[in-house]
Amino acid sequence: MQATKLRLNLAVYVIFIACILLAPMFLEEFALNRLAKFLVFGMLGVAIALSWGYAGILNLGQGLFFGLGAYMLGMSLKLASPTSMAQGSDTPVPDFMLWNAEPGSKTDLCCINGGSWLWIPFQNHWFGILMGMVLPTLVAFGLGMVVFRKRIAGVFVSVITLACVLLVRLLIVDAQPLTNGWNGLTDLGILTIGETEFDPYSVTTYYLVAISLSVALILGRLLTETRSGMILQAIRDDYNRARYLGFEVSSFQVFFFCASALIAGYAGMLYVIVAEFASPAFMELSFSITMVVWAAVGGRGSLIGACIGALLINVIETSVSETAALVEAWKVIIGLIFVLVVLFMPQGLAGLASSVTDRVLERFSGRAARLRQADSQQQPAE
Amino acid sequence: MTVAALTLDGLGVAFAGFKAVDGVSIIIEEGELRVVLGANGAGKTTLMDLISGKTRNTSGRVYLYDTDITHWQEHQIARAGIGRKFQIPSVFRELSVRRNLEVASFETPGVFSNLSLRQTAASKRRVEEALELTGLGPQADRLAGGLSHGQTQWLELGMLITQNPKILLLDEPTAGMTQAETRKTTEILNALRGKHTIIVVEHDMAFVREVARRITVMHLGQVLAEGDIKTIEKDERVKQAYLGSKGIM
Repeated sequence: MQATKLRLNLAVYVIFIACILLAPMFLEEFALNRLAKFLVFGMLGVAIALSWGYAGILNLGQGLFFGLGAYMLGMSLKLASPTSMAQGSDTPVPDFMLWNAEPGSKTDLCCINGGSWLWIPFQNHWFGILMGMVLPTLVAFGLGMVVFRKRIAGVFVSVITLACVLLVRLLIVDAQPLTNGWNGLTDLGILTIGETEFDPYSVTTYYLVAISLSVALILGRLLTETRSGMILQAIRDDYNRARYLGFEVSSFQVFFFCASALIAGYAGMLYVIVAEFASPAFMELSFSITMVVWAAVGGRGSLIGACIGALLINVIETSVSETAALVEAWKVIIGLIFVLVVLFMPQGLAGLASSVTDRVLERFSGRAARLRQADSQQQPAE
Repeated sequence: MTVAALTLDGLGVAFAGFKAVDGVSIIIEEGELRVVLGANGAGKTTLMDLISGKTRNTSGRVYLYDTDITHWQEHQIARAGIGRKFQIPSVFRELSVRRNLEVASFETPGVFSNLSLRQTAASKRRVEEALELTGLGPQADRLAGGLSHGQTQWLELGMLITQNPKILLLDEPTAGMTQAETRKTTEILNALRGKHTIIVVEHDMAFVREVARRITVMHLGQVLAEGDIKTIEKDERVKQAYLGSKGIM
């Protein structure tokens, strides 16, 4: 029965990945771009499920990693924008830096303002891409080492992550000359790798996102099937027991916290490519909470469940927002959905699907057993 | 000549001046099953905490065979060969019984060494052995959270067995069990006798009579008496401190 369930689970992954890979055959470019955004959110769902469902770490600041990833690539794309070359300098300079510059300062990244040199390496977009993955992971590593080494658990981790995302958002908003503050990074160039242009409305870009999500899903799922993944779930259930069985509990927590951050950071980069902006709004509390709601509805105990939860809610939200009367009410509706799911479906849609499968399989195996029994009772009579 | 498996040398801890365990020296021989008795607050569980690294001792030393394991981290002590069962049974409730045992049987402590989809043959074999020993085979695919109290205790015991520990620390393994469950626990422990050195903290006298050869009685954080069951029953100080005048019933 366990094997059957694993095969069904595999089938769900295969069908889902096939669906998102075939979508371009049926959608025109505007809808495709929108779907790509949703797939990025689906990736965030995977990141949340990995840390919340598998590791038991409710991160209320996942937007921090998403935002960091977005800003890293956003900086490179800002420098690649035609407007950055049109500021009267030989090297690219972001337009907002000129607007914020002191009169008479040199129009160059080296010294237009105190911190602008930080932008210099981002002229190479590989640096931006690399940092988009390295920085979120490093920040998660530092945060994780402090939190998990100190054996902080449960709601305290949530509060700390929540404080962190708000703190970083404040810093970014405050560093207006360096980050364009509230406005975020807009008017970005298009990511070009070799001959390939990742135009946000192109099929190429859609495939970049869809394949990235597929890889994240498969790698994430494989990770949870390793011995480390099993030990991680054991730690989630009872970290003391795991510790006294001889496991270095904090190393598992830090590792998977980092993995979750890496996925979120990568999703942030994809979002910048698809949506063409990076904004401090990514680090608003409400966005991080929304991610948690996606995972809760889809099922935090399942990577693909959380991913589908994110897609589903966003699809509903989009169709609802086309009805004017419901736009304002949407926040209430989503809040209500969250409360209902927590009360009646604590494992979300994936949990519901799993228990239905259990019941069906049990009925089948029960019938098979009865048939065998009937057979063996008949045999002596023959 | 027998070998000392665990040596406690003047072990003690003080919480804000209160000495919960005070200069306890005990030598436990290899293969022995030692019962630690004592009234509530005598320091039995604290003693277990000190051995397993949950609480840091403020005086004395702990030796596992010839290794000084004083002040080691919990997971290092566990890896050195001391397995601990808690008073409140703790298992991984959202995982299946088999998965619980599998996790316990993994051989390395860190995250990177466990980044593999494979389980070693030795680890699989030990899981099967533990299922057999505890009689949990029929429940192997059920979630551990759905087990009865007795089964949960056996599962936790089974998890320790998969690690093949040199020393088993069992904190009230029969607490809350029915008579039938206690009997089965006795059987399991008797099957383990000799293979592992076992230290049991227990109140249940029927159980103690069944398993004990040597008993250590603790009182107010100190060792009050030590000996076989008859010596302990006759000891005047033990009677006064703990057993009352009626003996071990």
